[in-house]
Amino acid sequence: MIRYTLITVLLLLTAFVVQQFIPAFTGLYDSRILLVQLVFLCAAVTVPTPTMLLLAFIGGFLWDAQCALGPQGGDPEIYNQPVEALRFGYSIVLFGAVGYLMHGVQPLFQQGKWQFSAILSGIAIFLYLTAEYLLISFIRGGFFIVRATLEQMLFSSILTMLFSPIIFWILFSIAKMFDHSIYPDADRKRRRS
Amino acid sequence: MKPLNLIALLLFLGGATWALTRSEGVVREVQRTYYSAMRPFLKTGSTLETKARAFMDETRHSKELEVEVDAMKGEVGRLRVIESRFRELEKENSDFRHALNFKKATNFDVVAAQVIRRQPTTWWQTVEIDAGEKQGIGTQLAVLSNEGLVGKIDRPDRERSTVILLTDEKCQVSARVEGTQEVGIISGQRGNQGRDPQLRLKFLSKDASLRPGQRVFTTGRGGIFQANILLGTIEAIEKGALDSEAIVRPSVNFADLGTVFVVLTSAAP
Repeated sequence: MIRYTLITVLLLLTAFVVQQFIPAFTGLYDSRILLVQLVFLCAAVTVPTPTMLLLAFIGGFLWDAQCALGPQGGDPEIYNQPVEALRFGYSIVLFGAVGYLMHGVQPLFQQGKWQFSAILSGIAIFLYLTAEYLLISFIRGGFFIVRATLEQMLFSSILTMLFSPIIFWILFSIAKMFDHSIYPDADRKRRRS
Repeated sequence: MKPLNLIALLLFLGGATWALTRSEGVVREVQRTYYSAMRPFLKTGSTLETKARAFMDETRHSKELEVEVDAMKGEVGRLRVIESRFRELEKENSDFRHALNFKKATNFDVVAAQVIRRQPTTWWQTVEIDAGEKQGIGTQLAVLSNEGLVGKIDRPDRERSTVILLTDEKCQVSARVEGTQEVGIISGQRGNQGRDPQLRLKFLSKDASLRPGQRVFTTGRGGIFQANILLGTIEAIEKGALDSEAIVRPSVNFADLGTVFVVLTSAAP
């Protein structure tokens, strides 16, 4: 169990490295494959709550370290209505929230029905992006959503979701390697029959 | 809820609160450490992206390139004439300043850099360039291209920097409209994804007599951007009850950014 936990942490860190090599698809409104979020969501459903929260903290913390913008700068007399950016650390909370969402289907996952989790990972990514957009709108004021933004969120979710079977396959392989069961219910049933 | 889960949740919330309450300086230090650890991977990643882009460019139809080269030759000729005139004016201006004993620095040192990564984050309009603190780059320095203002430096690293583009909502620039007394603040708009971004020039006077096609330049006020840098051209005007706003098409083609120039001296506030 501990070895599996450590490997999921390492897998998440590897996702941060690989994410650097994934460009945005300019033809699809700058949509992108959010590998870090995907690895976290897939791993979250295979681990108990404390480990999920640990992964959420690491993932959110590093994601913000990668993406946070600096202060506006300039003369405050001229730029007297600065545009705020999201505060460092907000991703930790969002990762935790979508992690709990994935935990909601853990009973199904433990029965061996990983397909539900794969679909839910796409929905969770969409909700994650929606929450981010809503937070930006909230702190900057003036809520409006244009079609390009909606399509960016939609395509990012779909593109990311398409890779979830690969991440699950990697997690299954890792669990098998360390003799750890991420399908306890399904394994028990198999042994009984 | 199991006691272990509750303890984990409380620890998680404590950690999140700790992160949310970090000061700007601490956040910058965290980012610096993160990017130092990522440096070798970032270098490889951006090399791959540059190679892929170069390959895509090469595969473009040769006829199209020929037309582009011809157009560029004409443009280079035109710019040479303008440049020679500009040099004359610069010298003249420098002489006048000298004569008036102006203390203001006249140097406009720039560092050329290549865009090595586009749009690395989901929501912010940013690019990464291959020049950083090693080349003397610091935060809040203006970034230009030969077409106009590109943006400003948000986060310099040792050998690379993040540039926040003019098309981002957070990149505000004090701007004036050519041939008028109208000044305002220009910035990008939310939802500027895709290849056709627009800027919004706010806080213009209620009865501003503007027309599409007028050019918009920096005022030089605000301490970041130098004066008279081209920002874009007015496309539409929206009159409000208290003020007017203009929709501006940026002069820079952000989808095709290659070489940019970082101005090493900040503008006077």
